[in-house]
Amino acid sequence: MELLKLNNCTIRFGGLTAVDSLDTFVGNDELVGMIGPNGAGKTTVFNIITGVYDPTEGDVLFNGESIVKYKPYQVTHKGIARTFQNIRLCPSLSVKDNVRVSYNNKCKSRLISSVLQLKGYHEEEKQIDEEIHGLLEMFDLHVDADEYAKNLPYGDQRKLEIVRALATKPKLLLLDEPAAGMNPSEKKDLMHLIQTVKDKFKISILLVEHDMSVVMGICERIFVLDYGKKIAEGKPEEIQKDPKVIEAYLGEPAKKS
Amino acid sequence: MISIAVIFGVNLFSGSINSYYYQIIIYCGINIVLATSLNLINGYTGQFSLGHAGFMAIGAYVSAALSTYLAPTLLSVFGDGTLGRSAWFILVLLMGGTGAAIAGIVVGVPSLRLKGDYLAITTLGFSEIIRVTIQNLTSIGASQGFRGVYVYDNGVRSLEMVPELSSVAYKFYDIPKYTDFFWAFLVVAIIIFGITNLMRSTYGRGFIAVKDDEIAAEAMGVNTTRFKVTAFVIGAFFAGVAGGLYAHFLQYINPEDFNFLRSVEIVAMVILGGMGSTFGVVLAAIILTVLPELLRDVQQYRMIIYALLLIIMMLLRPQGLFGIKLERKKKKVSPEEAPEATLKD
Repeated sequence: MELLKLNNCTIRFGGLTAVDSLDTFVGNDELVGMIGPNGAGKTTVFNIITGVYDPTEGDVLFNGESIVKYKPYQVTHKGIARTFQNIRLCPSLSVKDNVRVSYNNKCKSRLISSVLQLKGYHEEEKQIDEEIHGLLEMFDLHVDADEYAKNLPYGDQRKLEIVRALATKPKLLLLDEPAAGMNPSEKKDLMHLIQTVKDKFKISILLVEHDMSVVMGICERIFVLDYGKKIAEGKPEEIQKDPKVIEAYLGEPAKKS
Repeated sequence: MISIAVIFGVNLFSGSINSYYYQIIIYCGINIVLATSLNLINGYTGQFSLGHAGFMAIGAYVSAALSTYLAPTLLSVFGDGTLGRSAWFILVLLMGGTGAAIAGIVVGVPSLRLKGDYLAITTLGFSEIIRVTIQNLTSIGASQGFRGVYVYDNGVRSLEMVPELSSVAYKFYDIPKYTDFFWAFLVVAIIIFGITNLMRSTYGRGFIAVKDDEIAAEAMGVNTTRFKVTAFVIGAFFAGVAGGLYAHFLQYINPEDFNFLRSVEIVAMVILGGMGSTFGVVLAAIILTVLPELLRDVQQYRMIIYALLLIIMMLLRPQGLFGIKLERKKKKVSPEEAPEATLKD
């Protein structure tokens, strides 16, 4: 069963075709990797899926429903959560409150009941608190729960972005270069973490990553973008041998003269 | 409830206070309402608005016009008792606030797509439009200001005496002086209580998330447009109520009371207090109301000192009196850990 399906997606910015008739899918409970050289259009694909951009042509289906016309927050309500390539946490909120923002659309207490602290408000806040604590504990962030998010070490900030995305209770998690700027041992931990997240929360993950050791290590299937076009798709071992992929990353073999 | 009782208790003694000091205290109350409501827009939600005086003007004029033009009707409905006058006052304040809130929606929905300086200019332009419109509405006094209306027995209402109706009985209804310590600080208590509770809740964190990172907030499922408009409307509503309090205290309002400088003054309170800190903004509102009065003794240097203090303040504490400083909170280092760290060196 396909959870997410991109049908012939194209997006043009003026004369530039950033993503060119892309067809792909993410299945239920699947960990898919998306790789490609710089400027291949990977983040643009994320932005199309999450509703930041509307595709010029084509359609995005989530659970069989077209989500092209939805705004980003509506896409999140549908069950797609994402992290960002350059970390985007709320700096003036504590770690705990960063996660709390994700519960915003779920909590029943809106304006009036929050101000007047009507019946059910306190129970709900308490329940949210417990859930947040549970999530943070799972990622070893609970010791810093009251720290401002911007004061966390870099690796923890990345982790917090994942926690925050998970708190929206997604069915599909989009990770945009989660290993960027990490050292090898942190990367190893991260791979382990992604695997655990997938198993524990029973969600699908679409992963953009430059680091081949991460991608090849955990992805079940990979597709490769180059200049907005999908040039290859398959199992990690197949991708590693694919001449088109090698060419996209390293250039054509030198001609004998 | 306790605070309301306290306010009511203090109100009983307010008669014994020197009327000059009393006036300053009431202005403090009104400015606190203005500053904390603007703080919700500028400080918490991060939408820089320069049009708060415009909303205040709408509230002042709507409530004042209702209190005067409809005075005979209101009198017959509510009577002249304390309870009746309270009901009357609550009604006109709410109407003033609602008028401002509607204006908030009208301005907010289109202009909140803008950010930073552009939004500031748009809101500034809007408040000027309101001021100029009022300046040209003769039924509420235009640029002469508004203090009340003559209501003739045959139903004619006029700002001036009408010579042709000299034989008809009339009564002059001025803007009633309803604002006292109790009412002003009741509104202060309501807004502080409301905003503190709101910002502590999960829902309220949405406002701060919008300020911090709109794109991230949106990705976490926060409807950012809705939050921005909500903040704008609540802020406008309370600015309107503050305008109503102002009109019913001074009993005379003039479009010039709500000019650009008034907006800037409120913004200065928010910035001085620290964006997003209710306590700081309340303190700043009090300081910036009392300070110019204290400096009256050195008349000619008054504004220079006032401006200098603001500049020095901004140089020494750019985040405001109680603004959030994003420093690492001090962590307790357990004694076992500390020596280990030194050993490694």
